[in-house]
Amino acid sequence: MSATTTTLSGTGQPGPSSAGQSGGIVDRAYQFLRRIPTGVLWLIVVVWSIPTLGLFINSFRDRDAQRATGWWKVKPSELTIDNYDTIFSARAGLGRSLLNSAAIAIPATIIPIAIAAFAAYGFAWIPFRGRKGLFIATVALLAIPLQVALIPLLQMFVGGASVTLPLLDKTIVLIPDFDLAGTTTSVWLTHTGFAMPFAIFLLHNYISSLPKDLFEAARIDGADHFTIFWRLVLPLSIPVLAAFAIFQFLWTWNDYLIANTMIGANASQQPTTILIANLAGDFGRNEYILPAGAFVQAFVPLVVFFALQRYFVRGLLAGSVKG
Amino acid sequence: MNKRWLKLAAVPVALSFIAAACGSDSSSSSDSTSQNTTAAGEGGDFGGVTVTITGPERDDPSIAAINDTLNAWGETVNLKVEYTGDADWEANINTQVEGGNPPDISFFPQPGKLADFARAGYIVPVTDEVNTTLDEFWADGFQKYGNVDDVQYGVPAKTDLKSLVWYQPQAFADAGYEVPTTYDDFVALVDQMAADGGPKPLCVGIESGQATGWTFTDWVEDMVLRQAGADVYDQWVNHEIPFDDPQIVTAMQTVVDLWTPENVFAAGGSIAATNFADNGQPLVDGQCYMHRQANFFAGLFPEGTTFADPSDPTAVDVFYFPDINGDKPVLTAGIFASAFNDDPATMAVMNYIATADYAQTRQKNQTEAVGGGLSGYLSAAMNQDPAVYQPLEQSFLTILNASQIARFDGSDLMPADVGAGTFWSEGTSLVNGDTTAADAAAAIEASWPK
Repeated sequence: MSATTTTLSGTGQPGPSSAGQSGGIVDRAYQFLRRIPTGVLWLIVVVWSIPTLGLFINSFRDRDAQRATGWWKVKPSELTIDNYDTIFSARAGLGRSLLNSAAIAIPATIIPIAIAAFAAYGFAWIPFRGRKGLFIATVALLAIPLQVALIPLLQMFVGGASVTLPLLDKTIVLIPDFDLAGTTTSVWLTHTGFAMPFAIFLLHNYISSLPKDLFEAARIDGADHFTIFWRLVLPLSIPVLAAFAIFQFLWTWNDYLIANTMIGANASQQPTTILIANLAGDFGRNEYILPAGAFVQAFVPLVVFFALQRYFVRGLLAGSVKG
Repeated sequence: MNKRWLKLAAVPVALSFIAAACGSDSSSSSDSTSQNTTAAGEGGDFGGVTVTITGPERDDPSIAAINDTLNAWGETVNLKVEYTGDADWEANINTQVEGGNPPDISFFPQPGKLADFARAGYIVPVTDEVNTTLDEFWADGFQKYGNVDDVQYGVPAKTDLKSLVWYQPQAFADAGYEVPTTYDDFVALVDQMAADGGPKPLCVGIESGQATGWTFTDWVEDMVLRQAGADVYDQWVNHEIPFDDPQIVTAMQTVVDLWTPENVFAAGGSIAATNFADNGQPLVDGQCYMHRQANFFAGLFPEGTTFADPSDPTAVDVFYFPDINGDKPVLTAGIFASAFNDDPATMAVMNYIATADYAQTRQKNQTEAVGGGLSGYLSAAMNQDPAVYQPLEQSFLTILNASQIARFDGSDLMPADVGAGTFWSEGTSLVNGDTTAADAAAAIEASWPK
């Protein structure tokens, strides 16, 4: 209030001082306003973290404590690691299920990236007939919900696929029966297929925006398409590759539906998501171990996220400095 | 940069190859064994084939007990059994059948679903050998829910007893109450407790996620059995009388009349907002005297609760939810094993599940797996050794055996649209006071699939 008065009445005062004072109020207002987004961000962070915090606290409370009071009434004396102990000693085998999850999530992350990077480069920088139409067709597949394809896919994994020609009475085997039903292979194959449209779309957007001069320079130096892709495009695309890898890894690691459909009754191939869901028990009587299960499940994705985030940020910075 | 990127990429690629190699290795071996089922040998040697079973039971001790029991027997005839508990069994079994990938045997908690599968030709009838075993160990009243159009498809694998009231004998003794033996006594006791102004007579909660209301349906079924009798009950679940028949409406009305605020302690504020599992704590805390719930509720009492132990004043016990006409009807539920193929090995497993030996061995294993105490398992198979059951579990069996009329949980027999749909939702509205018993019954009747 006093600052405002001074500024308003400060017309008679010497110039530099007046400028300094009005600069002060602008600065202060600016400083204040600049803090608003940060404050809002912090507020969002806090609000968004509360459920996770509650889950985290509840993961250390036994069943009766969870049933009796909310997590905010936690008493230090009731904290226990029994829930984690129950999960780690589950008969179904947490270690095996974590390996199964890895056997699904790692191929389902690497393979789509590998294929999509080649495809995206081709769509972006190799001129060929029907390029646009093919690209639109690929991206249009984004609109197909994977749920509608689950049972046909499962049938294909169980018995292969064949077509009987009506008049010739001849059966053509399109896809042989690889006996994939109930295996982690069938799960990551499904994930790979359904990740492809989005992967190609995302990588294409990034790769096609790389400066044209780079490619011309490389071609003048005698580089062929493979060299350009391998030495130029891939290193420059690391930010987008990392971004997609994070998304795809999280999605496949946390997937329940596809694994549940494809693996079905085969206990030895079940990923952690199914194991944890089963631990909840008949009539949900063991639901109290689910918070602990959630953190066991979330541990690996967190490691992957923080490991890859470095590349994510470095890639963005590299661009800005050069620009 | 380039080299580092390559190194980074190399690690997961290598890992994925290893993982893929491991994955395909173990799967091919297990699959090849299950493919050989047709090559089953004679004279009780099945050449090490694997029989897969799925089911909704997914507690660790249950999975352990089922697997250990079946495999211990399987060793004697050289076959392996792999039981998988499935949190989403109801949906998954449909997917697996449609995808052409069903297990060899599955455990059906709902005879209604078993009948649907039998009529669709998904499951196969049991062999004569299994039928003979069934007749030896199971009363007709339990067999008949695995029977579809006079063909036996299911083998009872587990029995739940629902007509039970949980209470603390010491709390009754302290207040001078006696265990009621007739329904009139029960109502008089509830009135007495309410008038005395101490703890409420009943703990009731019907919240159960998307299955909210099933506790109410159990009460109504018990009430129909008591008021109208077993014949009307059968007509009701088979839809030979409409759902809004006056006798059913009366039963629904009786239940909600009993659930007045004076009579009920609801831990969550209202009956519909109280989770069915949250009724154990208030009972041992002395906030209510009685809770009507099935035998599996033993697992939902707070840790450290003792059962049927006269030396412990806080021990919890059960009494039979009393009858009206003296015919001692009990409401039961249970699980039926049914086979998706009639392979000799599959049928041998079905045959073993039908025996008392399976029931008591599983009970023994499951008691060990939970570390003593109540196993959560119960079987009404005849000729079991009662010594494998704890005192409380023995009293469950006594109640089961004393009953002349056992009826399966009606909501599991009705079409899913009703039994797992409107019966729950309209029941919940009725409990909330949003509708009347007659309107609720009429709405359920209207939803019955034509």
